[in-house]
Amino acid sequence: MVSTRRLQLFVLAYLASALSSAVCVSEAGSHLVVIPQSPVLQIGTNFTATCVIINTTEVTADDLYWRFRQTVIPSNQYTKINESALSVTIPVNNEESEWLYCYCKNKSPYVFVNQGKFVHGIHLSKAYPPEKPKNLTCIAIQDGKYISKNLMCSWDPAEHNVKKKPTTYTLHVEVIHNNQAYNVSTEENSATVTMESFPFHMDLEIWVVAHNELGTVESEHLKREANWFAKTNPPSDVKVISEETFPMSFLITWKEPIPKQMIALKYQIRYCPHGSHSWFVVPIVDFAKGTQSFRLQNLQPHTVYTTQVRCKHFNKGYGYWSDWSANVTKKTAEYRPTSKPDLWSIITEGEHSNERQVKFICKNPVLSNGKITSFKMKIQTQKENMMTRNMSWEIIPVNDPDADNSPSQKFTVLKQITLLDNMTARVHVTAINSAGESPQTSLGIPEEALDLDPMEGLKVHTQGDQFLLKWNAPNNTAITQYVVEWVSANDTDWQRENKSTQQTTIKGNIKKYICYNISVYPIYSGWTGKPARVEAYLAQNAPSVGPSIQLNGKRGRNEVELVWNVIPPPARNGFITNYTVFYSSGTEPVSITVPGNVTSYLLTSLSANTQYEAWIRASTIGGSTNGTRHTFNTLKYAPGEIEMIVVGVSLGFLFVVLLSMLLCFYKKDVIKNNLWPWIPNPRKSTIGNWSPDYPLKPETPKENCLSGISVLDVDTSDGKSLSEEDKTSLALKKDKYLSEEHSSGIGGSSCMSSPRQSVSDSDEGADIADTTASTVQYSSVVASNGYKGQTPSAQPQPLIFSRSESTQPLLDSEENPDLSVQEGGGASQPFSRLPCFTHSSWNQDSGSFPEVEPQEVLLPRDSCPSGEDNEQKTLTDGQSLSSYRPQLGGYRPQ
Amino acid sequence: MMIGRPLWTQWTLTPTALLALLLLLLCADRTTSVRTRQCSDSLQRILKLTRLAQKESADLIKTYKASQGDLSDVFCQASLQDVPEPAISGLELPERLESVLDHLRDFLPHLRRVYEQQADLQAPGGPLLSQLDRVGQRGRGLGSLVQAFYRDAFPNLQEPARGPEALEPPAQNVFQQKVYGCVVVKTYKEFLTNVARELRSIKSKVCRGRGSFTSS
Repeated sequence: MVSTRRLQLFVLAYLASALSSAVCVSEAGSHLVVIPQSPVLQIGTNFTATCVIINTTEVTADDLYWRFRQTVIPSNQYTKINESALSVTIPVNNEESEWLYCYCKNKSPYVFVNQGKFVHGIHLSKAYPPEKPKNLTCIAIQDGKYISKNLMCSWDPAEHNVKKKPTTYTLHVEVIHNNQAYNVSTEENSATVTMESFPFHMDLEIWVVAHNELGTVESEHLKREANWFAKTNPPSDVKVISEETFPMSFLITWKEPIPKQMIALKYQIRYCPHGSHSWFVVPIVDFAKGTQSFRLQNLQPHTVYTTQVRCKHFNKGYGYWSDWSANVTKKTAEYRPTSKPDLWSIITEGEHSNERQVKFICKNPVLSNGKITSFKMKIQTQKENMMTRNMSWEIIPVNDPDADNSPSQKFTVLKQITLLDNMTARVHVTAINSAGESPQTSLGIPEEALDLDPMEGLKVHTQGDQFLLKWNAPNNTAITQYVVEWVSANDTDWQRENKSTQQTTIKGNIKKYICYNISVYPIYSGWTGKPARVEAYLAQNAPSVGPSIQLNGKRGRNEVELVWNVIPPPARNGFITNYTVFYSSGTEPVSITVPGNVTSYLLTSLSANTQYEAWIRASTIGGSTNGTRHTFNTLKYAPGEIEMIVVGVSLGFLFVVLLSMLLCFYKKDVIKNNLWPWIPNPRKSTIGNWSPDYPLKPETPKENCLSGISVLDVDTSDGKSLSEEDKTSLALKKDKYLSEEHSSGIGGSSCMSSPRQSVSDSDEGADIADTTASTVQYSSVVASNGYKGQTPSAQPQPLIFSRSESTQPLLDSEENPDLSVQEGGGASQPFSRLPCFTHSSWNQDSGSFPEVEPQEVLLPRDSCPSGEDNEQKTLTDGQSLSSYRPQLGGYRPQ
Repeated sequence: MMIGRPLWTQWTLTPTALLALLLLLLCADRTTSVRTRQCSDSLQRILKLTRLAQKESADLIKTYKASQGDLSDVFCQASLQDVPEPAISGLELPERLESVLDHLRDFLPHLRRVYEQQADLQAPGGPLLSQLDRVGQRGRGLGSLVQAFYRDAFPNLQEPARGPEALEPPAQNVFQQKVYGCVVVKTYKEFLTNVARELRSIKSKVCRGRGSFTSS
């Protein structure tokens, strides 16, 4: 240990002295020198650097310190070599290049002033030592007729590599005995050497040298014959020849890709049925050296095969296999069918109850060895152990032999017969192709009532894309095999299982979302037994279409019955688990779920006269689909409600009518008095006899009063008044214009305020009649000769007063003047003014008044005096009365 | 110690010796078989290369004739004085191998001259030039293998002296060059045929029995 230390010190001292002259000059007076200068360090090791003090005694090794990665290295990593040298050891643990500095403490002013001379650094480059190239492999591929002169070699990449200090690889290739050497350098793990030509049959020595600043390492030398590295093209012109006389073999020929003088080749053949990817490889030992043909044997007749060939250097371990040649497809020749056809039957109900329809179908033999062109068939039927019919062999041609691979032609329908329930049938079939006839197969259809043990316990599960079937075997040892049949809407297929099978998968192309009716038939020595059946879906989905909905019957006021169609089986995509009925009147839909076997539903509690939208959702376990939406309106009235209302109203009306009739019948007098008040008959009036010349002779008070006063009191008039009034109105109508003239002329003589409102304005008699009951008739002056003046003529014309026909009711405004007059009398009743017989205006003009005694009998006694008083008062004021006042006293000559 | 014992019992007393003898024989036989296989492999490789050179020279003749015009079949029948003979001389195996080596070394300068002459007559990169180059390289390779075999087979014999690397450029016109080239190639092919025959003969004679090179 001590000796080693001394040796190290000696070496450092020597280096320091050696460097002092060179380095110090180059460092222009630096007093510190770090050795070694610019080293390349191996990552993962420790590095020791030494700082040496030169050309000064100002500082010693104790004053030195190291800085690395911006920090001062702890002093425990220092080693003092001597008074002028201090070393430090640091680990090299990353790939980054770094600086290592040696500093000196500011011990003295000299050091402080010359700090630049008391620091020195070295740049540390790091790298991994070169790794030995491993797994060196080389290859030269065929180029044209020769092997390429480019030899490509590769080796495993180095595990560690520093980009700044990469490893350079030099590939050396030497042709032994020929003194030809080639090399190429690269930083990758592969290189290509180009030679003068490919040295067939010559030995090559190949190796790789890896080199970087940390050293050089060489790979293992690869010594091989040059052909060892050759990879040829695949055999060319590969031909497959099919021979009629050898239907189970092919003759394959090819041409060597390269002359055998360059490389002696061996070949390999592989083949597979067309469309399959499992290749059969012919063992290499079956090939003779240099052969360029081979006969493939044990092939299936009439089968398309794909064949490929490749080659390689004949010597074991030499060279590389070429790529496989292009596919060559060829079909072997036909041969007679070597297996039985697969015969099966489909039994359905016959037209009559005691018969069956049996359809015989047949698949081509598995080993048909050619196109099946026809089937040969014979049917034997038997009834109660008595052979009833033995048909001869019948040739049934196959319609389209070329379509034997299409899924729709999986079987051929041979024949359909009608078989009585108590009959059995035995069918024998052979398949025929162009090369011969297959072995015979048979199938028996027993009597319907034959009680062979039926199948039980059939269960179907899905297993991936297949159905897994399990069943319990009948307790009958006569079972020879089982037939698994699966039937969909447009597909029928079957497969056979041996008698020990109780579990199998259906090998057909089972599709999702299709309902399959799966049956397992036991076969008893060729006789078909009773099957077990199950319906199943491989996978279920939402129905393709939803059920379409419609109303069943008439709509109701609060209820509607919805019916929907059953979704067609191809569109169901699964078992319908339930239907959900939705209906809405514009608000949140209401849903009702019903079982999947229900196709109608009665919606109740609907609002009357409301529009509803309804739809059905059909659900399977795979999803749900809504059907079309149907909109309907509930009725405003329930059926019969309108009829009930009409009947009720009618009955009510009838009741009212009857009640009215009874009322009229029993109260006819009252009604008559109310509707047709009694009107004095003008014809019976005595006014016709009233004349100035006629001596005023007092009449009976009653008649005079009636003829002179035309006051209509509805409450008090009797029924005769109206009829009499009609007559009067007719009379008035005849003298309409005359009457009008008189009214106008008379002016205030009428009770009416306006001439237009007089009875003469009425044009229609009906109007008169209509208003008779509600109007007040007024009397008017009817003069045959009219009033010609106040001067009496020599023969004074007799004046006739007739009853006014005016329908105008009395208005308060019109009566006001009179009322104002009457107010003094304090009378407020209508009778107080209308019935009163007062002086007319023309009597006023004359300035004298006839002294007529009022003969009004209908008026109350207290009315007349007051009216008289009023009249006198009015006259006093010099104003005329606007209302008409009948002049009971008639005209009196002045 | 052997006294009183039958002779056959003496053998039984030395089983170790017998086993050693057997192992020695096996080892010797294995060594012999290895050497025989090496001899056979070496000769087989030379023979393969000779056949390849022979094929390539045959292809070269076809290409040469096709490139020289219609009269190539006529002037290829000519014979020239300065072209090496195709026959292999010598009585013993070493002599015949020496003859093979000498002839190969003699032919190579002629093939190089033909290449140079045809390089002036043919378009660069043509098939004739590349084939000529390849035949020359194959001849050098064949010479190297034969020389190596000779060295292994007859290590105590002096290797044949090398012939001239290049020939003096003769004064030949173009036609003479064509005739010369065809004669050289044709003669070289005949020589290779002879070499192949000789090698087969050598293989059958030399690489058999316990001794690798019985003739030596």
